[in-house]
Amino acid sequence: MTPVFTDESTHIEHAPPPVQRIDDTRGTYGMLLFILTEAMLFVFMFFSYYYVEKGNERWRVEEPPKLHYALPQLGVLALACLLMWWGQKQAVQRKAFTARTMLIATIILGLGYLTLGYLDDLEHQLHVGPRTDAYGSIFYTITTVHAGHLILGILMCFWVLFLPRSKWEPVERPPHRPYYNVLLYWYFLAVVWAATVAILYIGPNVYNAL
Amino acid sequence: MSKEQVEQRLTQLWESPKTLWGALATVDHKTLGKRYIATAITFLIIGGVEALMMRLQLAKPNQALLGPEMYDQIFTMHGTTMIWWYASPILSGFAVFLVPLMIGARDMAFPRLNAFTYWTYLLSGLLLYVGPCLGQAPHAGWFAYVPYTLRPYSPAHGTDFFNLALILLTISTTGGAINFIVTIMRLRAPGMSVNRMPLFLYSTLTTSWVTIFGLPPLTAANVFVELDRRWHTHFFDTAHGGNPLLWQHLFWMFGHPWVYIVFLPATGMLSMIIPTFARRPIVGYPYVAISTVLTGLVGFGVWVHHMFAVGMSHMTMSFFSAASMTISIFTAVQVFAWIATMWRGKPVLTSSMHFAVGSVALLIIGGLNGIFTAVIPVDWQVTDTYFVVSHLHYVLVGINMFPVFAAFYYWLPKMTGRMMHEALGKVSFWVMFVGFNFTFFPMHVLGIEGMPRRIYTYAPNLGWDWVNMMITIGAFTLALGILLSIINFFWSVKHGQVAGNNPWFADSMEWSIESPPKPYGSIHLPTIASRHPLWDEHDEEKDPNNQRILDQARLTFTTTWLDADYVALASIPEDTILPLLLALGMFVLLGALVYQLLWVVLGAGIFSLLITGIWLWPTSEGQIG
Ligand code: HEM
Repeated sequence: MTPVFTDESTHIEHAPPPVQRIDDTRGTYGMLLFILTEAMLFVFMFFSYYYVEKGNERWRVEEPPKLHYALPQLGVLALACLLMWWGQKQAVQRKAFTARTMLIATIILGLGYLTLGYLDDLEHQLHVGPRTDAYGSIFYTITTVHAGHLILGILMCFWVLFLPRSKWEPVERPPHRPYYNVLLYWYFLAVVWAATVAILYIGPNVYNAL
Repeated sequence: MSKEQVEQRLTQLWESPKTLWGALATVDHKTLGKRYIATAITFLIIGGVEALMMRLQLAKPNQALLGPEMYDQIFTMHGTTMIWWYASPILSGFAVFLVPLMIGARDMAFPRLNAFTYWTYLLSGLLLYVGPCLGQAPHAGWFAYVPYTLRPYSPAHGTDFFNLALILLTISTTGGAINFIVTIMRLRAPGMSVNRMPLFLYSTLTTSWVTIFGLPPLTAANVFVELDRRWHTHFFDTAHGGNPLLWQHLFWMFGHPWVYIVFLPATGMLSMIIPTFARRPIVGYPYVAISTVLTGLVGFGVWVHHMFAVGMSHMTMSFFSAASMTISIFTAVQVFAWIATMWRGKPVLTSSMHFAVGSVALLIIGGLNGIFTAVIPVDWQVTDTYFVVSHLHYVLVGINMFPVFAAFYYWLPKMTGRMMHEALGKVSFWVMFVGFNFTFFPMHVLGIEGMPRRIYTYAPNLGWDWVNMMITIGAFTLALGILLSIINFFWSVKHGQVAGNNPWFADSMEWSIESPPKPYGSIHLPTIASRHPLWDEHDEEKDPNNQRILDQARLTFTTTWLDADYVALASIPEDTILPLLLALGMFVLLGALVYQLLWVVLGAGIFSLLITGIWLWPTSEGQIG
């Protein structure tokens, strides 16, 4: 077709493909966006917590949730992230055995986290359950949704664990993708739990102490 | 290799088999885009029939076609269907078809996810309509305020289907948004830097970001209601410290950004269509691009303000008017750009252009009465009257339905390979335009005279009789106009003129290839050297050494997000039935939740997880998506 219009930005240096490398980053972008939208879900649940609490006498005043499970749970998640982070570094260096061990450790820590959460629920439910009142409903919804995400995280670890060895080797360059993507997800789990502890656990205790 | 051999090889690689299995397993964005559009149009027709039923009932006073409960169900289903299952999916449909072609990629970044989001969209619509089929339609209006949706007031399962169908739909929409973002940021043809992107990509990208941030409150709200309804929690139950207003807040936090979700892609379409028919580049490209992005950003500003400042009493009203107010500045930039483009160009009045200009006109009217209703005293006078119904249709139909029809007439030749009938198209436009104004303009009058919305009938001699009759006639006229376009479509698919690559002499990449496009798009993946690649010619675009054929496997380029410099090759997955299976798994899971069949829920959950695991299992070629 004959050119009809001119455009000042016509010069290009976009040569055809120099090397033929296979892209492995799309999964990471997908994971980041997934994390972002899930994080927003938690943001809105926290908003709901504050909103329902507003002008609600009964809230917080009786028996604020105890910290003796929640804080260790946070520690467990932090440790899991640390181990996975290190494991991912090992994966990049093709030390598959160490990397896998770190995954198993993460899975165990995740199960530990769930156990602690369960114990916490048992204790907390003596005072308030999900069907007691609005506070209970929102409290347990947030913690349960988080636990659900954590179970998903554990399944992801299993999934990476069982990936055949050939998929472990970084084809072109670090970081090793599936491992890395799951690591990102665990960071997210830890951050959300940190926020949950601050808002649902520490907040009411501080409020009570004042 | 000769050209024929290359074509054969690429077709072999990319074509889905023409069997039932091939149809269910395809991940081709062109097929999926067309399916999206066809499904959304089906929902438009269903919603339209519901609208006509309401209008028949209201044509005269004291009619008994629909009883009060039935009327409630119908307006709820109409609003719900139109807003969620027509207005935004239709735009996604166009984007699914067009985005890869516009950026010169061979498919979306995550083709299987693309198939999955289509199937979940379809199944969520079915889930919504299970309720009405069982005679238990939801009846609380499309924004489903609590406490009306709680068990004591809505014991039937229709409301459960409504909630769970919406949850399934948000999964679909979110998946789609992720897909668009990664596709547009990573898969643009080498050289298509951000300042050369077609404006439709800006609007789709902005919308997708808005979706990522704006949809979760809706999900949360639906989950809470469902828990209250079926699992005896107390989020909204004042007797146990809950707060019904929580629903309103969460709902409008979603609702605000949502306006932009149905609005922006439509403006993006207009920004593609108007310059083509004005025969010149759009005036103020950077300003239009920036105001598109800012609309999305500022949308969140309003939304934050919503959380703290807006009273509850006139929530509905302020929703639509505040939305029109905030976007008015950025919309004005776009409207002026379109007008200036037409002014400085040599407009060709095709039927597509008719719809485009028509929607600009409606947008101006809708915007003006939006400012009107943002004035508080007026607002109080007209809240919850037909004034609102009028305003919201001016906004929705003006910013969504007319641009969508403009897009049909513009892009259908690309999809079908045949031109639509121009004269019939113009007749259809005028019938729709006149019908639309006859339907919704008089509603202003009704509103000011105080006729409330959502009433199933009214007494005679209130002075509303003839206006209502006129509105009903208008509504049928509008429906006739739509029908004419549908007939036009079926006629043109068979008998229309053959379109050729670029019937409109447009400038963007989708017009560089055959109509309908081959399964692989273009033989040589393009490089882009200008904002108007088909209007400017460049040697760089040629590929004499066949370096950009990429016929080793299903491949396309990935590039950097800003300058679109070449980075690597993306491996595109083969056709697979997994997305459909996963969608079915989730459909069964949510359906079983309605009846609390826990074993079925568990089974469907495990099934879905297994399918996800298999889906994500990497293949030897490193396929992703
Ligand atoms: C095709 C022509 C259409 C006609 C004749 C029509 C007619 C109506 C009528 C009469 C009502 C008022 C019900 C009442 O308050 O009693 C209504 C409500 C509504 N319509 Fe439409 N409509 C049409 C198209 C659309 C479209 C395209 C959309 C959205 C994209 C839409 C969205 C809505 C919504 C959200 C409501 C409010 C429902 C509620 O009150 O919960 N309509 N429509």
